[in-house]
Order: sequence, then structure tokens, then C-alpha cells
Amino acid sequence: MMQKKVCLLGGFAVGKTSLVRRYVTNVFSEHYQTTIGVTVEKKMVTVDRQDMMLMLWDLYGEDEFQHVRESYLRGSSGYILVLDGTRKATLDTARLLQQTVVRTVGPLPFVAIINKSDLRSEWEIDQSVIDQLREQGWPVFLGSAKLGQGVDELFARLAEMLLSAAPPPRVSR
Amino acid sequence: MTDQSHLPDRSLSDHILAALDITVLEWNEESGTFQLQGVPPEWWSRCFGLTSRSSLDLSRCSPFLQDYLTGIHSVWQGAPGPIEKSGPWTESDQQGDTMTLEARALSLGPRMLVLIERLGSDFENMRSIVQRARERMLVEGITAKSHRNTEIRLIGRLEASERTKDDALALLQQLGLTAMVLDERGRITFATDRTLEMLGIADEGAIGQSWDQILSLRKEDHLLVQHLLEGSSQTRSVGPFCLGRPCSKWIELEIHRDLGHSARRILVLHDRTEVHALRQALNEQASFHDLVGKSSAMLRVYQLVRDVAQVDTTVLIEGETGTGKELIARAIHSSSGRKNKPFLAANCAGLTDSILTSQLFGHRRGAFTGAIQDQQGLFEAAEGGTLFLDEIGDIPPNVQTALLRVLQEKEITRLGEAKPRTVNVRVVAATHHNLSEDVLRGSFRADLLYRIRIARVQLPPLRDRREDIPLLAQSMLGQICAATGKTIERLHPDTLRLLMSHTWPGNVRELKSAVEFAVISCKGTEIHPADLPPEITGTTVGPSPSVFIPLSNPDEKTRFLTALSEAKGNRTEAAKRLGISRATFYRRLVELDIQPH
Repeated sequence: MMQKKVCLLGGFAVGKTSLVRRYVTNVFSEHYQTTIGVTVEKKMVTVDRQDMMLMLWDLYGEDEFQHVRESYLRGSSGYILVLDGTRKATLDTARLLQQTVVRTVGPLPFVAIINKSDLRSEWEIDQSVIDQLREQGWPVFLGSAKLGQGVDELFARLAEMLLSAAPPPRVSR
Repeated sequence: MTDQSHLPDRSLSDHILAALDITVLEWNEESGTFQLQGVPPEWWSRCFGLTSRSSLDLSRCSPFLQDYLTGIHSVWQGAPGPIEKSGPWTESDQQGDTMTLEARALSLGPRMLVLIERLGSDFENMRSIVQRARERMLVEGITAKSHRNTEIRLIGRLEASERTKDDALALLQQLGLTAMVLDERGRITFATDRTLEMLGIADEGAIGQSWDQILSLRKEDHLLVQHLLEGSSQTRSVGPFCLGRPCSKWIELEIHRDLGHSARRILVLHDRTEVHALRQALNEQASFHDLVGKSSAMLRVYQLVRDVAQVDTTVLIEGETGTGKELIARAIHSSSGRKNKPFLAANCAGLTDSILTSQLFGHRRGAFTGAIQDQQGLFEAAEGGTLFLDEIGDIPPNVQTALLRVLQEKEITRLGEAKPRTVNVRVVAATHHNLSEDVLRGSFRADLLYRIRIARVQLPPLRDRREDIPLLAQSMLGQICAATGKTIERLHPDTLRLLMSHTWPGNVRELKSAVEFAVISCKGTEIHPADLPPEITGTTVGPSPSVFIPLSNPDEKTRFLTALSEAKGNRTEAAKRLGISRATFYRRLVELDIQPH
């Protein structure tokens, strides 16, 4: 069975841990608990009738207190950029992290999610910015870990991309 | 008891590791496995179930540890010595409890080791600090965002307010409204362009100034406006006020309380200069000096008076009793170049030859019995001015002669003196007689008539200018109310109708008497027909009377006596009660042979 290491990257408090919890255990907590280090969760998915074990590396948030260790990124098959729609600055962080990934492990399949669509009225990232990101080739999802909106679609899309990017399985003679 | 101080080396290292709560793994090149060194801490066994000296099965390790241990070989293959930290990761034990671990890889000569420790209180403290810092950043972010939103909202409101202000201002300017706003201290905070233009001042000159520095009012007007500004009335209109010295504009003021700020006031100015000028022109047409009337007959009289006033000739004023002959004489004097000199009036009726001569020309002490001192006459007293001789048709022949000499020679001679005195007096005479007929009858000197009739003014009777009756009556009503303190606002239309239909043999004087009567009788704010004297209410338009008051009936003497009795012998008052002039009254007294006491 395929195992794919997927890193969740983004600024602090954008909802990386919440997205993983919602996806893996379908649980959401209002209480913010900052992540220090790494928590790895597993989730089995089936893509095109192929089972795939996603190893979801929930990395700590990027900010002035903690910078993502490049060693964490090694061995990744893909990654998810998480943004907080209510904080425009998280878009800048996401861009920097993407550049770090490309510099460290090369261009990998990735998806981006602008989280907290339950607070849409407070968003600072407007539609024109989203359109620009999409024009730049970012697969952008809008969702809410709190409401569970767009979460499954996000991971399913990345799994598809990972499968497409993976070399065809060897056929034994 | 065991002697702990002499433990063998292996046992010592095991104890040290146990004391440090660290798990040590050593890479075994031959077996290709990680070998657990010493006794692992209790948490290790809970997570991985391994006991001492066993090999580590990577497949049983967490994904993170697997990843780390797999990737660590590249570190060992590099330069010896460096320690490669894994960074913290979260590990779950077999009971589902989580702990945070961190691994370090190092090489000691040929031996390659991995030390794994459970992060304890220091790590938790650090996590707590980071947690608080991030929470604080989030709160500050929310606060900053809230401030930004507030700022944006306020800027939006400010812009909207500015736009509204601009619109209102544009509208205000377009409407040409003359208005200004005063603050609680009466200083101008805003004035429209039209206001500045009207007052002839620049914007920067008005703002911040006190209103009374900009509006130069007379003292009493200033006090009134100040009083109204300090009052609490919502809106007041006052004026018109004269602006500037000399008066250059007439304005009316509307004083509004600013509903938004009760201490502020809005002044709306209305330029009434043109209206005032028109009103003045209208008033001048409707009245002339103290004469009231705008009928074509009176307008002709006004013009004649103006013309006569321009020359210095003798004037004869003709008209029925009560038509205002003395008022005309005063108007001529006031319009002439002699206006700053005396105006004296003498009634020539009912006076004896000597009294009239003395009165007009003066006398010397001892000239006649009772002449106890020198006395100048009216001609001398009126030096430089005008002498009005009323009822000139009644003067005795001797006085006519003396008067003729004055008019010809400009000289008078006091009684008892021989030396004439030069006088400079303009004579204006009046009569209700037809002097031409008097000349024919021989009672009046023709040469004197020609001398005094150089200019003539004929006053129409009131019945020939009925259209002036409402104006006259209203004017009289205002004067009488002001004198008596009564507040009667108007005359009922029926009352006016009656006044218009009366023949008014006593002319304006009779009309005034009737209005006085009505004011006394009136109990409300409007004069009704019942308030008028009975002779008015019973009168209809009839044939024009003669120029004389019809006093020839047998009751006339009784009426005169009654009037004198009621007036307690005061002839002026008695004449007033009868609605005739004092001159007529005296003449009639003589004609009716009444000897007043």
C-alpha cells in the first residue's frame, strides 16, 4: 500500500491541527492549542480504487518564534498550504513556505485552503486575491475546519494529485 | 544493602541513563538494527514495549521516529561530531496518552548513537510562553483589525459627512440664502457667500468674529437682537434693522436655535433695503409730512406744495374747514429753505383790530392800556421763517392795510412806534372764504388779495377724496390707540362702508373726531358700526354741502353752548367736540353772538 507523507504548512493559528483532526477524527475544538514540533496522523484513502495511506505531518505554525525545520519536509510527497481568510498576512506566510518547500524538496503537488469560511464577513482575503492565486496555479479551496466544509474535498484532491504524480507500480514478471 | 559506589561500568552507565530519563539506541552495522542500550525509561516501554538490550523494530515505531532514524544515516556519513536534533514530536503510548519526545543523533568514534528524551517541564513552559505570545498576537490582530475597521468606518462617515456638507453648502449657495451660524459665544462659525457678499466682507474677516462686529446695528436694535440670541425661543423674526452708519442696508433677521446644538444660533438675514425704499416711496405717496392720503387730488396737492416750497412767494391756501390748511402751511415751511427758522401760526378770526395788530406787529410800552412793556409781534418773532395767517378773510380793514405794507415793503412798525423795522418773513395765508367775492363785496382789499394770492393751494374736501378715508381712518386709529393705550387693530368692513358713505362736512377733523368717539366706545379689537357717533351711522351719501358748516339751524347756538358747557369753557375743547377748527369756532361764536365766560 502506498504511503504518502503530506505536510501541513501555514502561519500560526490558521487551523492546520483543526483541519487534520476534522479530517481524521471528525472532531473540532474551539480551544486554540498551539502546536510545538510535529504531530503525525495517518488516514487511509482510496483513490481510483487504490488504497493510499496519508501520513499527515501537522507541523507547528510558522512565525517569529518558530521556523519550519527543513528536515521535516524531507521525504514529503505533497503538502497543504493553510491560510486564515480573516488574516491577510497568512497569505504572505504561505507564499514564503511554498518557496521553502520548492527550495528544499523541489516542486511537489500541493493544495491550498483558505480556512475559516465560517467567518466570511471578516475575511481580509477577497475574491480578487483568490482569483490571482488560482491564475498562478494554486489549487485553492475555501473551507472551514469548524463546519467541516471543504475538508474532505481538499485531502481527496491532494490524494488524486499524489496518485497522478506517483510512478506507476512495478509489474512483477 | 547494595554498595552503589562500586558498581561495574555497564551498570553505572545504565544507572546514569535511567537517572537522566533518556533512551539510548546504538546502530548495529552488522545486524542493520538499532540496539537499545541500558535500561530504557518507563515511558519508552509504554510506547514501544522494548526492554533492555533488544533490537528496535522500526516498523513498530511511529512514522516520525521511523523517518528520523531512516534519515539519520546521512548525518553519520558526514563529518564526525555534530549532533543532529530531530525537533520535538508527539508520540502516543499504548494507552493513548501523548508525550513529546526529541531525539539527537551523534557519533562517538565508530559508535553511532541516538539519544531520545521525553521533553518535560521546561518544554511545557516554553510551549506555554509561545501559546500566550500567539494568543496575544491574535488578540492584538483582532484589536488592530477592529481599529482599522472603525477607522475605515469613521473615514467613510467623515467622507459622507463632508459630501453632505458640500452638497448642503452648494445648495445653500445656489439658493442664495444669506445665513450665518453663531457658536455659544456669539462668534460666527459659518457664513454663506451670499452673506459675505451682502455685508461686503471677506470670508476670513467674518469667521471667528462676534456677530455684532459684523452686523453694525443701532444700540437699541443691538440690545434687542442680543436679547433674542440669549433667549430660548426656537425661532424669532425681527427687524427691519438699519445696517451701517450711515444706514446703507435694511435687514430683517430670523433667529433660529440650532436643533443639533441648542447653544448655537442660526441667523438668516433678509435684505429689505429695496422693500424699505419702495415702502418709503409708497409712504411718501400715501402721506406728505403730516398729511395722509394718496388720492389723485392729494397727490396733486403734494406736488403743488413741493413746487411752492421752492419759491419764496406768499401763498394762499383755500379749503373748507377741517381740510388741514395749517398742515399744508407747515408742509410748505418744512419743505422750503426756511425750514430751520421759526414757523408761527396766527388765527386772525375773532380778534379785534388792536389786538390783532399788536399780535402781528408788536407794540411799544404804553402804546395802549395794559401795554406794560415792549413786545415784539409775530412778524418779528418769525424772522427768517414762515408766518401762517389763518382765516385771513376775517382780518379787519386796518390790519389789511398794515399787512399789505409788510408784504410790499418787508417792514413792520410796532404799535406806538414811528420807526419801521425790516422783517424777512414768508407769509402763508389761509381762508375758507371766497376772497374774490369778499373783494367784490368790499370786505377785502383787492391789492392785498393779489399780493397774497401769488401762489395758491386748494385743498379738496374729504367727500371729494373718499378713497383716502380707509387710509386716514387707519392712521388715526393707530395714533389714537397709541395715545389712549387701547389695542384696537382694525375697522370692521361695515364701519368702513359707513365712513366712506358719510359726507363729512367737517372734513378730516370730523373724521378724526368720529374715530376718537369710536375708540372710546369700542370694547373689542375691531371697531363696529355701533361704535360710531349716531350722526355717522344715520348718514348716507347726500348732496354736497356748501363750503360752510351748516350751523345755521336754530339748534346751532344750543349745540355751541352745550359744547362750551361740557368743555367747561375751554374753547379749544369745545371746538374739538363740535368737530370744527378753533378758527371756525371763534368765527361762529361772533356770528351767533355768544359771549363765552
